[in-house]
Amino acid sequence: MKEKKVKIKSDAGVHARPASILVREAMKFPCDIYLIKGQMEANGKSIMSVLGLAITKGSFLTIRADGEMEEEAVNRLSALIENDFAELASK
Amino acid sequence: MKKYLRIHDILENTQKIDLQLTLVAGSEGLDKAITAIEINRPGLTLAGFFDYFAYDRIQIFGLGETAYIKTLSRERREEIYHKFFSYDIVSCVYTHNEYPDEIFIDFAKKYKVPTFVTRYPTTRFISLLTHIVEAAFAESVTIHGTLVDVFGIGILLIGKSGVGKSETALELIERGHRLIADDLVEVKKIDESLLMGNGSELIRHHMEIRGIGILNVRDIFGIRSVRNRKRIELVAELQEWDANTHYDRLGIEEQLYTILDLEVPYIIVPVRPGRNIPIIIETAALNQRLKKIGIFSAQELDKKIQEWIVRENEDYEREKGEN
Repeated sequence: MKEKKVKIKSDAGVHARPASILVREAMKFPCDIYLIKGQMEANGKSIMSVLGLAITKGSFLTIRADGEMEEEAVNRLSALIENDFAELASK
Repeated sequence: MKKYLRIHDILENTQKIDLQLTLVAGSEGLDKAITAIEINRPGLTLAGFFDYFAYDRIQIFGLGETAYIKTLSRERREEIYHKFFSYDIVSCVYTHNEYPDEIFIDFAKKYKVPTFVTRYPTTRFISLLTHIVEAAFAESVTIHGTLVDVFGIGILLIGKSGVGKSETALELIERGHRLIADDLVEVKKIDESLLMGNGSELIRHHMEIRGIGILNVRDIFGIRSVRNRKRIELVAELQEWDANTHYDRLGIEEQLYTILDLEVPYIIVPVRPGRNIPIIIETAALNQRLKKIGIFSAQELDKKIQEWIVRENEDYEREKGEN
């Protein structure tokens, strides 16, 4: 199991579009992926689950992956959040 | 993790209970954390007995307390309040629309103790407040699943991503049942005996169906298709059909699923093309209702068969004897 804590910097937080990018990336990995905010734990491969976390600017989010390619998954998703979804949103 | 509740959280409680509170002093203290579930009636304290003073609980001033205070001289009140506020008081509430006297308000302002007046009688107020505080302090867990109310039975559908939980829920809604939450279910343990499930407030009654996208179930199917919370009485796990797995064929023994140390009846529903999952879930709900009133189909049938076997054996023995 791998974990990494990231801070959300985007003013817009994680609304529908970033959430869909996050989920799309998460789906590429075979491992189980969870996003944890406070006491809430969301399934990183489910849009509704990620939106339900209500991730706002300044929130701390723990990305947890368990299984095959867990390390790659955590690195990929944390980089995505830290870069404010920039690379994918522009495509 | 140590749980706490802020005064703010009580005013804007998730149950949407209006405590009819008017803030009369100490607005700076609204961020204070409450760590005790209980409340305190400070009658003895006001009479000057400060031993065992539960200062860390919300202090409720009822008719008795306010009537007693009125009998005291100004000097005596100042003396008592001085000692009272030397403790780290969380918050004070006056019931029956009785307002605290000016001296009390001055002290509350000075020590930043949020002080409220409510029009509710004491007992009613305490019961509402306890309800809010207990829910906030209740143990909770988030579960990846879909919670539906089928014929009055709260069924938590669980299973791997893509197995068809949301699609099953959608068809159940179409058939007149109700959605509580899709994907992210917050489960709370109430009174150490039952599990209450609800969804995240932000995405309430929305679901994602692959191929369509995000749907607002309440807008599409109407208000009768949703509810905000429901007691979980059955857990149904949807599993990809696997020829090597042994599935329960009898249902004589009840399987249980543990959430927050409480056990809930549990069934595994194998999924494969051609199996109508929503109808199976509906039937499971009806069967669960029968079980609740003490009728166990599988056990009853087994009993009937066993009785029949005993009768047949007796007949056989009798016929053998006669011959």
